[in-house]
Amino acid sequence: MESAALPGRAADAHEHHGPPDPNRSSRVDPQLLGMLLFIISEIMLFAAFFTAYFFIRVALDAPWPAEGDHLPIETGIANSFILFSSSGTMHWALESARRGNRLGLKLGLLTTLLLGATFLAVQVNEYVFLDFAPADSAQGTIFYGLTGLHGAHVAVGLLLLAFASVRAFRGHFSPEEHRGVEIPGIYWHFVDVAWVFVFSSLYLLSAQGIL
Amino acid sequence: MTLAARLAAPGWWRAALSLPIGFAIGAGLVVAVRALQGYEPAFDGEAMTTASLITVPMAFLIGIGCFDYWFRWGSGAPTVPEDHSGHGARTWHDYFRVNTDHKVIGIQYIVTTFVFFILGGLMAMIVRAELAAPGSQLVDANTYNGLFSVHASLMIFLFVIPAFSGIANYVIPLMIGAPDMAFPRLNALSYWMLPVAGVMMAASFFAPGGAFATGWTAYAPLSTQTPLGQNFFTIGVQFAGASSIATALNFLVTIVTMRAPGLTFFRMPLLVWANFTTSLLVVIATPFIAGSQFFVLLDRALGMNFFDEGNGGDALMYQHVFWFYSHPAVYIMMLPGFGIVSEVVSTHARKPVFGYRMMAFSLMAIVMLGFTVWAHHMFVSGMSTWLRVPMMITTMLIAVPTGIKVFSWLATLWRGVIHLRTPLLFALGFITMFTLGGISGIMLAVIPVVVHVSDTYFVVAHIHYVLFGGSVFTIFAGIYHWFPKMTGKMYNERLGKIHFWLSFVFFNLTFGPMHLVGIDGMPRRVADYAEQFATLNAIISVSSFLFGLSFLIFLYNMIMSWRRGRQAEGNPWRAHTLEWLVSSPPPVFNFDRIPTVVGGPYEYGIPGAVHGTFDERPEKIAPQRGERVGATTP
Repeated sequence: MESAALPGRAADAHEHHGPPDPNRSSRVDPQLLGMLLFIISEIMLFAAFFTAYFFIRVALDAPWPAEGDHLPIETGIANSFILFSSSGTMHWALESARRGNRLGLKLGLLTTLLLGATFLAVQVNEYVFLDFAPADSAQGTIFYGLTGLHGAHVAVGLLLLAFASVRAFRGHFSPEEHRGVEIPGIYWHFVDVAWVFVFSSLYLLSAQGIL
Repeated sequence: MTLAARLAAPGWWRAALSLPIGFAIGAGLVVAVRALQGYEPAFDGEAMTTASLITVPMAFLIGIGCFDYWFRWGSGAPTVPEDHSGHGARTWHDYFRVNTDHKVIGIQYIVTTFVFFILGGLMAMIVRAELAAPGSQLVDANTYNGLFSVHASLMIFLFVIPAFSGIANYVIPLMIGAPDMAFPRLNALSYWMLPVAGVMMAASFFAPGGAFATGWTAYAPLSTQTPLGQNFFTIGVQFAGASSIATALNFLVTIVTMRAPGLTFFRMPLLVWANFTTSLLVVIATPFIAGSQFFVLLDRALGMNFFDEGNGGDALMYQHVFWFYSHPAVYIMMLPGFGIVSEVVSTHARKPVFGYRMMAFSLMAIVMLGFTVWAHHMFVSGMSTWLRVPMMITTMLIAVPTGIKVFSWLATLWRGVIHLRTPLLFALGFITMFTLGGISGIMLAVIPVVVHVSDTYFVVAHIHYVLFGGSVFTIFAGIYHWFPKMTGKMYNERLGKIHFWLSFVFFNLTFGPMHLVGIDGMPRRVADYAEQFATLNAIISVSSFLFGLSFLIFLYNMIMSWRRGRQAEGNPWRAHTLEWLVSSPPPVFNFDRIPTVVGGPYEYGIPGAVHGTFDERPEKIAPQRGERVGATTP
């Protein structure tokens, strides 16, 4: 999704007959708009899973969590803080890229990667020690469905950030050209915001919850 | 080239190599997990097939070369200036590789979709042969269920939706004066996901237990309990859906950011408007069908309980989630057709489109209303009764913007200089057939009527009037209209007209009587029927065979005209929109210089009116005060 997605560079016009540069009919950056539209469709995918949650928990009035099940709220809160702080480090990385601070960019991306990976590891660990399985009840299905969907998005975000980190360590990105950090960063913030909704509806709004 | 080099370079050799690797990864993962968890047996054929249905296509896409650039980018290699090596077609070989040229991708799309159209059509022929007489003719009931399910899935996901994407892929960048789409590599990836989805759905016939037999709607909990073939649908739809979301995103970004100077939103041709609104629908709605199929897959593969009422699941929830996509999907299958018909009617009747702005606004109105009507598919499902009446009212409201469009086309034709060429014939056929389908649609919105005719042939008749008489006729209109532009050759006008009249007549003879048997209560999706429906069904079957044969004329016309048709001029229809300013077929990068737009797209009959120009300094670029596109009458 980097600069070469748009064909046409005036410099190589002598080499061969390339296309004319397209007219820019909007101030919005194409890559940025593409990511925003992608996020809209991601929001709708989460919405489909939340619809299932709504039907099972609200329309059928099921107890939450299912009888005898237990949700580790404290671990969840700690894990949420890990994920939310990774949004801060992501912002730090982007600001460093904007200011041309290469060390800050590298450190910021690495910390974000580390925090994200920790979040995912804690989540997997939680799956191992939970006292219910997805096949046990509809509540379990929704719990694993929504957290699993979110976990898959964390994994994709980590992959994109890994790409950006590799490039940062190879000396790419400059104060003028840092879309390769900015665009995955937007996705990462989206993953964080999605967790706010997943976490509050699954953990906080439960029989053992605090809301 | 040595074999090793062939296997390393993107293309069919590497794709062939990647297929067994993909299977090994998918099946191996399943065996490893099952062995670790101590499940018996570790080698479970169904689970291994399901996992490889995901990994084999991914491996194929990597092998054919869809991800090469992104992997190179991610590995930190320097970004090289674009060398355009993946762009354009010099020989027919170039149509069989990952190509970034929107014109090549457009033709790849159209040809692929017509292959699946033929495949789905042949299935319909077998269905009609089975229904030619009461009792069992050709196939057993289970195969019959598989045939109509795969028929519908191929026609919807592999023909109508992507055929429109194909036409738009070819035409939209030209129409807005852009050298290509905004993301050419994403465009190539979205194309290549399509044959994957189609082959998967068609291959379900070879699965143990037969093809998926739950209709294209795959209602739970039936779909969570049927044999393995269902997974071919559930996963195939994910690939088709991802393809369609990626294309829609690409169209939106292209239309927003790459329009020629002077091409304001209210100077855009209506096909561009139509694809803009359709793409909005796709981006917002398609994730819901992805969600519904994820649920089915999780229930089937991992024993989850989304739809298992015994474990607290909600089976009706499937229909809500499914139709929240699939009702907007009927507009995804119709709005681009509206755009094509606007172009064709205006150009071949030599008149500005009547009420241009209302045409654009009514598209937006259909998009908005389209999200508020999903439960009208569920009137007899046992859903909450309070939801029925609001859904009935919003459904009827949609007739208003649709009606505006029909009357605008009629008013455009009124006192036009009508050239009755094949594209216009198909557009006129569309207007009449779609209006009839719309009227039966209004009937189906009325709860008392639907309680009577739900799941009968009346519904089958309605859907074919709007989807064949509607969408497919506009696809034909579009293909005839842009055939000279795409191939540089003229099609045979006489054969085109014969194709139209045969398909128009036999279309009506096939699907018209279905209204009658439907009202009399003949249920759909059943291989056998009562003796009283025998006569009409025999008529329907005979007409449907002739209807199917009429398509051969189209095929012959297209192939022969492409090979040895008369050379086409740049602008055979004397149309104004930008794609007709360049040669036929257009140069590899569309334009040597980006044109400037100075007026509305349909100013036919106005002396000296132009839409776009290559002049360096045209007299006026910005819309003038009070300029109303299409408002001027000759």
